[in-house]
Amino acid sequence: MIPASWYLILSAVLFSLGVIGFLIKRSLITVFMSIELMLNAVNLSFVTFAHQWHSVKGQIFVFFVMMVAAAEAAVGLAIIIAIFRARATLNVDQVDLMKL
Amino acid sequence: MLAYTIYLSFAGALILALFPKALQSSARVFALLVALAGLAIALIGFIQAGSSGTVIVADAVWVPALGIRYTLTADGISRVLVLLTGIAAVAGILFSWNIGEKEGDRANEFFAFFLALIGGVYGVFLAADLFLFFVFYEIAIVPKYFLIAIWGSTRREYGAMKLALYSFAGSAMVLIGLLAAYTVSGSHTMNLQAMAQYSFPIHFQMWAFPLIFVGFAILAGMWPFHTWAPTGHVAAPTAASMLLAGVVMKLGAYGCLRVAMTVFPHGLDPWGFSILGLTSWRMVFALLAAIGIVYGAAVALVQNDFKFVIGYSSVSHMGLVLLGLMTLTQIGLDGAVLQMFSHGILAGLLFATVGRIVYERTHTRDLGVLSRLHLGKTMPFAAVLFVIAGMASMGLPGFSGFIAEVQVLIGAWRAFPWFAAVAGVGIVVGVAYTWRAMQRAFFSEATVSTASSGTAHEEHEPYAPVTWAEKAGVALLVGTSLIIGIFPRVLLDVITPAVHALPELLVKGGRL
Amino acid sequence: MNTFAVNYGNLFSITIPETILEVVSLLVLVVDLGFLRKSTQPARMTAACVLGVIGSVLAGLWLLTHSGTASFAGDALVLNSLVAAAQIGILLLTALVLLLSFQAEFSRNPGEYVAIVLLATTGMMLVAAARDLLVIFVALELLSLSLYVLAAFAKSSALSSEAALKYYLFGGMSAALMLFGFSYLYGLTGTTNLNGIAVSLASQGLSPLVVVAMVLVAAGLGFKVAAVPFHLWAPDTYQGAPAPVAALIASGSKVASFAVLVAVTGSLIPAASASRGATWIVLLVWMAGASILLGNLAALAQTSVRRLLAYSAIAHAGYMLLGIAANTPQSGAAVFYYALTYALTTVGAFGVIAVVERNMGSDRFDAFAGLSRRNPLLAASMLIFLLSLAGIPPLVGFWAKFNLFAAVLRAPGVGAWGLGMVIFALAASAVSLYYYLQVLKRVYVVPAMTDEPMAVSALEQLVLLVIALLVALLGIFPSALSGWIPLG
Repeated sequence: MIPASWYLILSAVLFSLGVIGFLIKRSLITVFMSIELMLNAVNLSFVTFAHQWHSVKGQIFVFFVMMVAAAEAAVGLAIIIAIFRARATLNVDQVDLMKL
Repeated sequence: MLAYTIYLSFAGALILALFPKALQSSARVFALLVALAGLAIALIGFIQAGSSGTVIVADAVWVPALGIRYTLTADGISRVLVLLTGIAAVAGILFSWNIGEKEGDRANEFFAFFLALIGGVYGVFLAADLFLFFVFYEIAIVPKYFLIAIWGSTRREYGAMKLALYSFAGSAMVLIGLLAAYTVSGSHTMNLQAMAQYSFPIHFQMWAFPLIFVGFAILAGMWPFHTWAPTGHVAAPTAASMLLAGVVMKLGAYGCLRVAMTVFPHGLDPWGFSILGLTSWRMVFALLAAIGIVYGAAVALVQNDFKFVIGYSSVSHMGLVLLGLMTLTQIGLDGAVLQMFSHGILAGLLFATVGRIVYERTHTRDLGVLSRLHLGKTMPFAAVLFVIAGMASMGLPGFSGFIAEVQVLIGAWRAFPWFAAVAGVGIVVGVAYTWRAMQRAFFSEATVSTASSGTAHEEHEPYAPVTWAEKAGVALLVGTSLIIGIFPRVLLDVITPAVHALPELLVKGGRL
Repeated sequence: MNTFAVNYGNLFSITIPETILEVVSLLVLVVDLGFLRKSTQPARMTAACVLGVIGSVLAGLWLLTHSGTASFAGDALVLNSLVAAAQIGILLLTALVLLLSFQAEFSRNPGEYVAIVLLATTGMMLVAAARDLLVIFVALELLSLSLYVLAAFAKSSALSSEAALKYYLFGGMSAALMLFGFSYLYGLTGTTNLNGIAVSLASQGLSPLVVVAMVLVAAGLGFKVAAVPFHLWAPDTYQGAPAPVAALIASGSKVASFAVLVAVTGSLIPAASASRGATWIVLLVWMAGASILLGNLAALAQTSVRRLLAYSAIAHAGYMLLGIAANTPQSGAAVFYYALTYALTTVGAFGVIAVVERNMGSDRFDAFAGLSRRNPLLAASMLIFLLSLAGIPPLVGFWAKFNLFAAVLRAPGVGAWGLGMVIFALAASAVSLYYYLQVLKRVYVVPAMTDEPMAVSALEQLVLLVIALLVALLGIFPSALSGWIPLG
């Protein structure tokens, strides 16, 4: 039996990878996928806790997260397409029309 | 009754703001009528109440949840200052009579801001609820910015912004003090009388008092927070400098007396230790006031811009008001209030002479240039007027300034002789700078390096005649100053009982 | 308490206003795409906006006439007077935004625009009522996703899509952070209900996991209210998004976010244990202080009025966070009062900006030069809005500030930081007058480049005047709202 804490550590590691990816990657698509990675780390953590508490609430939460993540992906990709049409680039550093 | 001074002014401002542009030449007439009505009400209120005590003008529930009421009362000090405001408002409009003659003067807006400012000032002098007081105080600040920034002259945007930021910084300090007092008292009232009776802890008063006092004193032009005053005065259009020096600086001094000193009288107590020989806030502020008197006068002595001379003289005169407040004696406080009134009238007169009568015709305020124009001969009205105003401002017997200064000095002599001596020096310097300005501007014999200026003088057309509006304004101000100078009891009979009714600590201060 | 025994009748009865909005949003789509496809662009926009306004008004009327308290599924959704006030406020703000959108030309799809605005509004209303982590999350995402789309709605504008991208990326990131925090809260307490969390947290000590959860939740909610250091999206989004959308983001979304922040704070600081409360409060106070400082300082350097409003919004969020950190019922109500009146004022300011932009093609300071001569009423409205934001009496912004700071000072547990932070906030707001006056200087002092009047439709003028009057009258009669939001 693998202890629950291992799952939690895995989830934390995945989440951290997502945060790091979000911060250092320059391609919009990769940044976008980093957010998805974070959401999946959250899901893993919810499932683990649900298992620990023998409560179904956490698992219900996971379904909602997945659903919202799908909607978010749809919106996000649409925005990325709009950016690409306007600027012909997917590099975060070049989306810089507005500055202080 | 007196409450209508406020309502009329605000209603007038609102109507003027909505005035059609085509009617801009009649805006001044309308504004004058409103100001005259305000003055009439102030006068009637002043006469009716006589020397009686506090009159309740209005009282209504306002923000019940916070214990804030809409309360207006008028004691003798308020009535005197309301009267001053009425006179200054009428005079200010008379001296801006040219606004509205030209296309693009934006006369509607000018007089709307003007009346809004006046309404706020009336409100401050009448408010008896701390929050009402603060609300009116801030209402009076905002229009000043626009009056100066839009219609001003020398470096107007800088002067206006500086003034607005200084005022707002001061009012932020006041607001902090009020919030803290409101919290500490825990009571659900903001009434000044009730607050004054609540005994705040001494250590609280020790920091709340200087905070609020300085917050207000910034607007009163206390050294070293006075620097907004000269730049603001110089940048402002004539009517605005008249109001600024005439009544707005009084707001600060009035706030010092009415809020800081009345609510936190123990803030004036000795600290129990001494820093550089200073042993209480009272001494600190008295020292700053004395420095202000001398500093303002000394700087006025070396200015080349005529308006700066008057601007710094205001700092000096307001120093006398603050010194009078700090004496904590009946006579000193009487003198301080009287000096507020007197300086309100005289500063208005001086600014009107310099900014309107002289500047509008010569288009210069440089004393060096003016000295070559022989204004004493070409503009005798202005010369005579400035002599009168200057004499009055020096404190010549027979004018209102004399009694006020003497009272302040007697009070100061009893409390702190050294500062009184310093203030005396300041008054002597005051004679010097007035004399110098008078001499250079009007009676200079500087017959000029021959050819060039001689022709310039001959080519010069005679200056435009003095208009009826200018004459009326001058008559109003000079008349008031003379009446008060000859019959000071008219005001003192009203002021003395009101000062006497202040918390006992404020008139039993005695010697430091 | 069996949370699975969902009573759908009960659910329906307390979500009727939201249902009305949903139905109207579908109706807008049907009408616009079904019947008006051949009509002109302005006619379609008008029809869609009118429908949207009617929907908001209907929902608002329902709330007004059905007061009372109710809750659903063990307090997953609650309805009480404060929530109702927030919801009515949100509906009013939406209606005003729609009324100001009649002239908007940024989109060729008016039906979709109004439908998504209504969906966003539904999200805001649910956020304000939610008291369960799951409902909070779903409602916040409904709100955020709608706003991402709206921010990108001007498809031909590169600024708009860039604004949307920044909003989306930071929003997605902070949503993930918040969710991670939620998962820890769930793991620590075994429940997602805020009341349950409060009870359960009160019985345990302060573990590192609780601190981590709090930091993560603070990050997520801090993003929604644009508090430093989660504010990076705000200036760009305010500047790039279409004006009515920026107004919605700055107003309704703020109200909803502060409502949920108040609720979450109440649950994370159980009355019994001060120590854990301290962590959360320290977080809020630091965020507040940083927001006040950075917002006011950065606003000083702006030349675009929209960006200026964005930084000022960050500063205002800082003031409100102080009220939340004080954590008394009075300070909570004061935050509501502040958020609602602030939002109203901001909608007005963005309305003026929209008109100026349409005429001048820019929101730079120069575009506002001489506004008072080109359109005195518009200028007077802007004067009232900006002075109210600066907190000048007798406008409502002053009372909101005063009430808020008084509530903070009177809160029992603020001894250590209360007075200091209030002094800091008041000093900063004295600074803020400078940049508001920079705009007003252009409006009133600087000469106009042209004399031609600023074109504005009668409706816009009317709506802006009404908002300005509200801001002024609420300032003169601050107690007018006390039926819903108690002062003091």
